[in-house]
Amino acid sequence: MLNSVSDFRFFRFVMALTLMVAVSACAMQSSEGDPDARAAYDEANDPFEPANRMVFGANVMVDQLVLQPVAVTYRDLFPDELKIPVQNFITNLFTPLSFLHALLQGDMDRAERAAASFFTALPTFLLADTFPDENPVFEDAGQTLAIWGFEEGPYIMLPLLGPSSVRATIGTVTNFFVDPVGIVAGSGVTIGRAAGNAVVKRSRDIEQVRELQRTSLDYYAAVRSLYRQQRAAKIRNGAGTPVQSGPTIGLDLDQPSPGEGKEETPVTK
Amino acid sequence: MRYIAAIVLALALATPATMARADSHIDASVNFIDQLANQAIGSLTDKSITAEKRRDEFRKLFRDGFAVNGIARFVAGRYWRKASDAERTEYLSLFEDVIVNTWADRFSLYSGQKFEVRGGIDATPEKSKQNVALVKSWFFTSLTSSVQIEWRVASKDDLFKIIDVKLEGISMATTQRDEFNSVVSKSGRTLSSLIKELRTRRDG
Repeated sequence: MLNSVSDFRFFRFVMALTLMVAVSACAMQSSEGDPDARAAYDEANDPFEPANRMVFGANVMVDQLVLQPVAVTYRDLFPDELKIPVQNFITNLFTPLSFLHALLQGDMDRAERAAASFFTALPTFLLADTFPDENPVFEDAGQTLAIWGFEEGPYIMLPLLGPSSVRATIGTVTNFFVDPVGIVAGSGVTIGRAAGNAVVKRSRDIEQVRELQRTSLDYYAAVRSLYRQQRAAKIRNGAGTPVQSGPTIGLDLDQPSPGEGKEETPVTK
Repeated sequence: MRYIAAIVLALALATPATMARADSHIDASVNFIDQLANQAIGSLTDKSITAEKRRDEFRKLFRDGFAVNGIARFVAGRYWRKASDAERTEYLSLFEDVIVNTWADRFSLYSGQKFEVRGGIDATPEKSKQNVALVKSWFFTSLTSSVQIEWRVASKDDLFKIIDVKLEGISMATTQRDEFNSVVSKSGRTLSSLIKELRTRRDG
């Protein structure tokens, strides 16, 4: 499905970066003997943590120097009335990819909705949101792999692209080759779409990110947790049972009694 | 024919009524969130009160509305079990302080944005001694963007407490727990190392 030399170049670039991360990160030594430490290590599922933290540091710097200023400018100077069609355009450009992956996941309902939003938006040059009352369908190769039963694998912080996992990284590379928009319009369009999407998304959470940076005790760990929760919600398509989607916390009417720790296990695990 | 209509009508009326009885905690939880939000907007967003006063008011609402100790224990994770009573007490009070310091001041930024509670669903786990409802709400930050907030409300008889808040599908309790776990696993692996970090956070 290679349709141009630049596809291949980009592919090599991503692979090289991924390899760099994997190689430079000798798996973190877990402390053996201490079962609590072992459990915490397994739960974090982040054997490349030292390297991931380094890449994260660089990503945060790029964000502060490039992405955030661009996103703030977009938020403050771009007219509000024009933001909606821009958002719609980017969202609509993702629907062919979502259609393909909904099909691969056997989800005919969402495939149909993705196709319907794309074709009904076509006469408006993809600028309209033809289903404003519903969340747009978004599916990608990482989600398809998850539906097919592939494990998430360790956490990976990709340079520039941000938080990921082994499964999601394979998905990102796959998307690059199977995306109908990329095949028809060229990889320049998909890269532009990704950049536009990054700016639009970032412009909506300027304050939240600042707040998280300011208040978190461990910003890296907070981002890792946020990423995993968001990703899990996307794979479930926001569904899943309401019971499963939350931690089990007791009403706790009395003062904590020593030795009681039943509330510590979330149902999701 | 008239009988059939009467039966159909009776059934139609009867079904929602019995369902409503079984799920009465859901409606009550929705009301609970609605009231708490009104109280918060009423007492915390007044720009003329001092930051000190706002924090006091917030602490009161936080204690009333949230299962503070249950949440604190959940986010402490596995380190809670091994901690001493003194450590637990200090941790609980620090946890509350840090939450109050982090959130109270934000209410001064409120300027009339719309907050809308849109019903709830049952989320009671099996074999649970308490009812749990998931109350859905929206906070409209501007014309083009809104935040979906889900409140997990546990209840028993007349007692209602929030046990988790989800912003756009992200659980605050889970995030805090993962973060605390990472902090603790890097520094001593005991609750006391977390206490040290929290103290720095509160006083710093």
